Amino acid sequence: MKPSEKLIQAIKEQEIKPVPRWRFTLKNSLLLGAFLLAVLLGALAFSVILFAVQQTDFSVVSHLAHSRLELFLGLLPFFWIIMLIIFLIVAIYSIQYSPKGYKFTTAKLVGYSAALSILLGTLFFIAGGAQRLEHAFALNVSLYESVQEKKVQLWSMPEDGYLSGQIEEVGMGTIQLKDFQGKLWTVHHESAFMPPSVLLERGEQIKLMGEMTGKGEFSAQEIRPWGGFGAGRGKGRR
Amino acid sequence: MYPTKEICKQLSDQELIRKSLQEVDYFSCLYDRYEEQLLRYIKRLGVEEEAEDVLQEAFINIWKNLYAFDQSLKLSSWLYRIVHNQVVSCIRKKKSFGKDQKDTFDEQRFADLPDESFLDTDVLEEKDRLTHELLEKLPLLYKEVMVLKFLEDMSYEEISDILKIPEGTVATRINRAKKAFRKLSEQYPIAF
Repeated sequence: MKPSEKLIQAIKEQEIKPVPRWRFTLKNSLLLGAFLLAVLLGALAFSVILFAVQQTDFSVVSHLAHSRLELFLGLLPFFWIIMLIIFLIVAIYSIQYSPKGYKFTTAKLVGYSAALSILLGTLFFIAGGAQRLEHAFALNVSLYESVQEKKVQLWSMPEDGYLSGQIEEVGMGTIQLKDFQGKLWTVHHESAFMPPSVLLERGEQIKLMGEMTGKGEFSAQEIRPWGGFGAGRGKGRR
Repeated sequence: MYPTKEICKQLSDQELIRKSLQEVDYFSCLYDRYEEQLLRYIKRLGVEEEAEDVLQEAFINIWKNLYAFDQSLKLSSWLYRIVHNQVVSCIRKKKSFGKDQKDTFDEQRFADLPDESFLDTDVLEEKDRLTHELLEKLPLLYKEVMVLKFLEDMSYEEISDILKIPEGTVATRINRAKKAFRKLSEQYPIAF
């Protein structure tokens, strides 16, 4: 018996059937779906990272004492960075195991997946989605500490020279500030550096660097808008 | 009823696949068409005794996955891929049972070879045979690309499709394999 006939006989005897086409189609669709989903979720994670970076004052680092540096580092969106890495791995894995995935080197796969997530994430951030997503996360996930919460923590250390809150009243060389815990402060700002974007008006939210000079008294050396580095108007605290 | 050689000859690879899915007997044409070159490939990868069995098992896998065949690939590349996987799995099995025959390389025969200035047909034949034995000494990772490139005469794209690695990696691996082969051949009194 020819080997080819032996093969056909084995197939017939063992009733071996080809795996149906839909199984392969389903597998490939799932891989593609997983890739797209991972890229999309990676994009969302990246947009929140952008938002967190935007909210972080890196210039503060040099002023911070070692013990406070930890708090500052806590502002960095590690949760979202880890999420981004996980989604990138899922995206790379799913495309690598797709029918044509082997054509790409790992470096190319990482590059393309990251580029897609970065592009979509940036668009989402520009559209304001990152802030909303972060807020929704903070509201619905009890363990999650939002960027804003961490930021308030960092800027609520008057004894270390950091204060923030909403302007209640504006006087000559002083302002009355209500911090985010509701405590009232008299802030002296005659010699404070203030970028043009800061408006000392009732209702404005600001952050200050300076020195606590007494109970409820603070001498400001620098005033910044709450929502940014000082280059633009703050969006205000939610 | 198995199709005759003439009928098989008239049908293209694609037609044979289509016909096989309707009538399994046509699958024998595909086996007959590629049997010789695939058997040779299996043997070149170092599986001699079980070559027939490996090919049979590979063709059963080919049959099971017939609907997965990507029409943008050359059928031969796809067949080589499945056969290759079967060979690798066979080699692994042999290794795990301690039956690896890689050490059958005849070093004495190399030592007894005449200097290359005495080259004649016999020596050339011997050289060809020893090339295969030297290939046997290479790790599978290098041996497979050397066999595909220089013995099976495959393009980088085909090798990429068979081994499921990027073409750039194929090129790098071939370079490294050539270096390893050269280094190995330097130990013996014959020029490659």
